[in-house]
Amino acid sequence: MSGNSAFQLVSERGWRRGLGSMLKSELSRWWKTRMWWVQCLIWGGLIGFLLSAVLFSTSDTPPSEEVAVLFLIFAGLFPSVGVVIIMQGVVVGEKKSGTAAWALSKPITRPAFLLSKVIANGLGVLGTMVILPGVIAYILNLLATGTPWNLPRFLAALSVVFLSHFFFLSLTLMLGTFFSGRGPVIGIALALLFLQQNLIGWFPVLGTVLPWKLVLPLGEQLDAVAPSLLVGSHNYSSLLIVVIALESLLFIGVGLWRFSREEF
Amino acid sequence: MNLSTPYVIETHALSKTYKNIQALRSLDLKVRQNSIFGFLGPNGAGKTTTIKLLLGLIRSSAGSATVFGMDTVKQSVEIRARIGYLPQEPHFYEYMTARQTLRFVASCFFEGPKKAIEERIDEMLEMVDLTSKANRPIMTFSGGERQRLGIAQAQVNYPDLLILDEPAASLDPLGRRDVLEVMSRLRKYTTIFYSTHILDDVQKVSDTVVILDKGALVAQGPIEELLASSEGVVYIIHLRGEVEAARKQVLAQPWVSGIIDGQHNGDSAWQVSVSDPQVAEVQLLKLLVNDSVVVTEFRRKQYELEDVFMQVIEGGSNVRK
Repeated sequence: MSGNSAFQLVSERGWRRGLGSMLKSELSRWWKTRMWWVQCLIWGGLIGFLLSAVLFSTSDTPPSEEVAVLFLIFAGLFPSVGVVIIMQGVVVGEKKSGTAAWALSKPITRPAFLLSKVIANGLGVLGTMVILPGVIAYILNLLATGTPWNLPRFLAALSVVFLSHFFFLSLTLMLGTFFSGRGPVIGIALALLFLQQNLIGWFPVLGTVLPWKLVLPLGEQLDAVAPSLLVGSHNYSSLLIVVIALESLLFIGVGLWRFSREEF
Repeated sequence: MNLSTPYVIETHALSKTYKNIQALRSLDLKVRQNSIFGFLGPNGAGKTTTIKLLLGLIRSSAGSATVFGMDTVKQSVEIRARIGYLPQEPHFYEYMTARQTLRFVASCFFEGPKKAIEERIDEMLEMVDLTSKANRPIMTFSGGERQRLGIAQAQVNYPDLLILDEPAASLDPLGRRDVLEVMSRLRKYTTIFYSTHILDDVQKVSDTVVILDKGALVAQGPIEELLASSEGVVYIIHLRGEVEAARKQVLAQPWVSGIIDGQHNGDSAWQVSVSDPQVAEVQLLKLLVNDSVVVTEFRRKQYELEDVFMQVIEGGSNVRK
């Protein structure tokens, strides 16, 4: 390249080539636009409001353990819908608009392109849909019950909530690499999100491979992973954490494979 | 540029089939370094398909291609590190400003120093007259502004090869002129491979031309040779007086292959096809200089690229140089 001797050339090599640029761009999309505060407002507001309604609307304040279960239900279910809605356009939108082809005409590898989206959106989800509502819930619980949750256990429970969201993040991302329209992507992901309770009811074995029981109890049983962790119960399967983590990685792997074959 | 100048792009029997549609048929292309290579053809001829194959955005069905001697499939990222590309319809991240877009592109090539990168970005914004709009989100840009930003982002990395897909498509005449000027200026530093429908632009700046039709190469060569070879050498002669006698005399020459008669402002207008341009250049006018005829116009017919284009596309001829 003539004329560029004054510049330090990018040192990333192999599949990582372009990861830094793409990641910076994707993080900007989250944190340098209104996206971050809109998401904070939605999830912090929604979960804070629902929890406040339970904690402060009656004179009988529920015990701290019950508040924990309620918070984890709110934080585990609703933001997953948000994750699917955000992620449905991440790959399909760029394929349709032509920005993916444009970005990939630069020295950016396809794995770097896709992984930057996983990392940036993962961090966005973690910050706005897990940590912020978690902090709000922690404070509300403290104010209402006067009993703080055990912090390490609370953080462990939040990690499991994040894993549940990450499952849907990676699933939706993978679906985006297979389809060229948003309909099937959002349809399949939301169908799985809302039908998994029924599926587990019909075929209990699916409870070991679907993320429902990471955060949400099945009926009256209190054997979901995150609530159990938070209240210090051992009535849960830690294998589910491993299975869901592996499934999420599998979705990303399949997405990378499919995206490497995509034609723009 | 001479014959020892290395090739930047070479394709060998490059083909692309989409389901049952053959978008590109066995394309053999050679683009020399520092040339301005015009890539012509009607819609659906395979121009954008070729460009996407060179960039590794799609995979070939058969054949191969190299850019800078590197395989477009196995070394695509290394190739793209030396290329600047303007898509036919530039789409950028809408949430970014023009300056942020150029920063993003620059960051794909350079890590620093920051000051030099910012100076390069300023230079590019200035070049495409977007300095005053540098901090506006792209979602507010018009088609022409996007096109100009596209031209800027394609050059930010000092590319060794600039691939432009319809670079002047959305520009007004002044914008077109500026793009052509930039292309001419860059010839010293880079090779420019560009597709266009605007034949006039190609004739102004290109030194080599390829014409594609229905996925196949139908003409290729230096522009002067393509223009010269379209119908052979023809002289335009307007004359009055004893025209018939002069006509017989001209037709009697062994190097004259035919005369097409016509009228122009009351004069006879001939188009004389010759088989030996060197002899014709010396002899033809001499034959007509006498007291019985008055020659009011005498010139060698200049072909326009449009003539060649229409001839090869409609006539299906195959011209390779």
